[in-house]
Amino acid sequence: MSNSLPTTPSGSASESNAAEVNAAEVNASVIDGTKLVRERRLNNVKKNWSLFRSDIPAMVGAILLIFFILIAIFAPLIAPASMLDVTKQLDVPRYAPPSLDHPLGTDNLGRELWIRILWGARVSILVGVAATVMSMVIGTVMGLAAGHFSGLFGAVVMRIIDFFIVLPSLLLAIVLSSVLERGVFTIVVAIGITSWASTARIVRSQTLSVESRLYIERARILGAGHRHILFKHMLPAVMPLVLANTTLTVGSAIIAESTLSFLGLGDTSKESWGTILKNSMDISAATSGYWWYVLTPGIAILLVVLAFTMVGRAFEAIINPALRSR
Amino acid sequence: MTDLRFDKVSITYRSASARGDVPAVSDISLDLPTGATLGIAGESGSGKSTLIMSVLRLLPKSAKIDGQVSLGGKDVQDLSFGEIRAVRWAQASIVFQGALHSLNPVREVGGQIIEALEHHAKGTWTTPAKRRDRMFELLDEVDLDKSKAVAYPHEFSGGQKQRIMIAMALACEPDIIVADEPTTALDVIVQKQILVGLAKLVAERGISLLMISHDLAVLSAVCENLAIMRHGRLVEYGPSDRVCLDPEEDYTKQLAGAFPQIGDAESRMNPRTLKPAEVRRAQPYTMTDEVVLEAKNLNVSFDTRQGRERAVRDVNLALHKAEILAVVGQSGSGKTTLARSLLGLQEVDPGSQMEFAGKALPKKAKALRTFRRQVQMILQDPSGSLNPKRSVYEAVVEGLRVQKLTDNEYHRVIGALEAAELTPAADYLESIPQELSGGQRQRVVIAGALALDPQVLIADEPVASLDASVRGEILSLFLALKKNLGMSALIITHDLGLAWNIADTVAVMKQGEIVEYGDVDTVLANPQHTYTQELLAAVPRLGSQSLVTHE
Repeated sequence: MSNSLPTTPSGSASESNAAEVNAAEVNASVIDGTKLVRERRLNNVKKNWSLFRSDIPAMVGAILLIFFILIAIFAPLIAPASMLDVTKQLDVPRYAPPSLDHPLGTDNLGRELWIRILWGARVSILVGVAATVMSMVIGTVMGLAAGHFSGLFGAVVMRIIDFFIVLPSLLLAIVLSSVLERGVFTIVVAIGITSWASTARIVRSQTLSVESRLYIERARILGAGHRHILFKHMLPAVMPLVLANTTLTVGSAIIAESTLSFLGLGDTSKESWGTILKNSMDISAATSGYWWYVLTPGIAILLVVLAFTMVGRAFEAIINPALRSR
Repeated sequence: MTDLRFDKVSITYRSASARGDVPAVSDISLDLPTGATLGIAGESGSGKSTLIMSVLRLLPKSAKIDGQVSLGGKDVQDLSFGEIRAVRWAQASIVFQGALHSLNPVREVGGQIIEALEHHAKGTWTTPAKRRDRMFELLDEVDLDKSKAVAYPHEFSGGQKQRIMIAMALACEPDIIVADEPTTALDVIVQKQILVGLAKLVAERGISLLMISHDLAVLSAVCENLAIMRHGRLVEYGPSDRVCLDPEEDYTKQLAGAFPQIGDAESRMNPRTLKPAEVRRAQPYTMTDEVVLEAKNLNVSFDTRQGRERAVRDVNLALHKAEILAVVGQSGSGKTTLARSLLGLQEVDPGSQMEFAGKALPKKAKALRTFRRQVQMILQDPSGSLNPKRSVYEAVVEGLRVQKLTDNEYHRVIGALEAAELTPAADYLESIPQELSGGQRQRVVIAGALALDPQVLIADEPVASLDASVRGEILSLFLALKKNLGMSALIITHDLGLAWNIADTVAVMKQGEIVEYGDVDTVLANPQHTYTQELLAAVPRLGSQSLVTHE
């Protein structure tokens, strides 16, 4: 700490003098101030991490997630795309039940199901995460706008949110994906656009409650405008909620993707868990006794969704200590 | 009839956290014979609420009680659940702290009073019709109209809600009433009504009263005996006149001195505190003739369902350089609206004129922002005014960043914190609000305003939510800021004692109008308007059970 601290803030003349004389020193202490803030945040992160680590379901979920993400990333290395080429699987038995040679069994074209799951994870997780990010961004922006701005603008935004809440989202997604060009991006947009409304509602309610806190009034008194209040107070206050909501939404986005693929609205040229389910449905695998064909993609979806949910719940508990130890 | 007796009571909260077991009350022995009145005074954290909750066994499971709490000769600990249920309300009942939160907002209050009768009804009120009659009787007893029975809590004022709580406590004709800070959130006039009401009930029906408060004057106005608690221990016990007027312990003296006696020359411009703020200037600033902030014909109205309500009517005020002006009035008198309009936070009616340093208040957002460098406001509750996630440094620096005064940031922050007497400032920079005490939080809020180097500070009830001993510290800080920096301050309060402590001038507000305005010494010593006289008379005085009517 420097020795030449001004004793009162009023002596602005002497203060600026001091600033000129000790320019270097002042620079150093400016960094000091922000450094303190950074250190405190780092400590918070460390504390939260140790809380997260002590939560066993969350750790199981996190390990599962890392496993699925790794196999999705390294799918081309583990099993090259050629292994899914139907023309090269002529000597492989069709509908082979799980065995040592065929760990998860094969499908109606003799493809190994474990390879299809591997490749399917890429699209399923990518779509799940991308659609969730899109839905979170729209939801947060709309929720903040509806909560922060009172009057006509806020009311109009709120009615738009209400409109998307009452709209049957699957129907809208089906319409969107059949109208737009086929592809992974279309699926992402279709899911993203239809699933943000509930997030917006949650964000709005939190915004409203934070808006009435005295520290927002204090910021106004200090001269803050909308931008300062929205980005320095509101956004940090709603972010934890949004993050917790994200992990929970990913699950439903993955299911939505599978649903759309299952209905034949996905990108048929790419593997996804929903596509596998659809293929199994096409050849009535369930009734023909090819249980592994139906169960494998189903369990994969279940595991990933469960993993995201367990991680999400742990996040929620860290953010909202009242949920802990109940 | 029932006697209440605490015999060497110690209460410890078991805690799994790093703090270990927390002793809340240690070794307290007190006696409350039938028909007696006892007041327990102490600051927050002194264990007084814990002690009285033990009477009805309302403590959480983590509390461990040693010693004996006996009601009518029976140890409360030994009663079975059924027996304690019979004791609750029928023998002893509680008026909880904060009536505002103790009533169910979605039920009519009449129903809530009947609920107490249904749960604890003795043979007397067996049928619904009888309970209804009893409920009307109770409303009458606390001076509320019968038609209020079907009203919801939000339709009542704070004082009326408190009266509903008292009606509930009286429902089953208990022998003992325990009142936990019954008047803390109320202004002096309503406080007087409640206290007089309680005192009357005690006198007429021979009920014993156990009352807790942090305000010695309130207790001494009603209670015969006083006990002073600190850190869970009994500091002093005796007849209330002796404890208040001739205290033996230093701590009691401090408590008694925290609330000044208006007219007492010693406390004029001298709030009593153990840690007075330092006056550094050889020649401290005193009030000048230079007007900094002025309001002429200020009117503010709101549209309500009942039509247009005029919250502030034709107010004329002038704040001079280095003047401390106290605006005093009951809740709902428009004080806060007045302050908000002076800051440009509240839309005013056409025709109102507000000037800062001779120029009209700006209307545009950008000009208003610059204006707020000059005039800053401190809000009522320091805990709420700080973002719980941001450190002291971030809280103080916020104004500087908003105003884009980013050069020399660190020094400005340290300077502001030291001016607010939070020293050594560097030690507090990383703390987050929950690690600070109430007084320290208020200092951080004040530092945040001082960082902008304003000429005028507007403070809305700056000490209402603080403990008695901290109150003196913060008030002496306001005085020091005036003397050291020549700052003007407009302080909004319902507490005439505060005006007596630090203000140069005082304005008394009633229903949006200023009814009396002038020098503190003249106005408080010789009030002209009946309302000012009424306010002054309602301030409880130390000792002599002033509000108890002796036949």
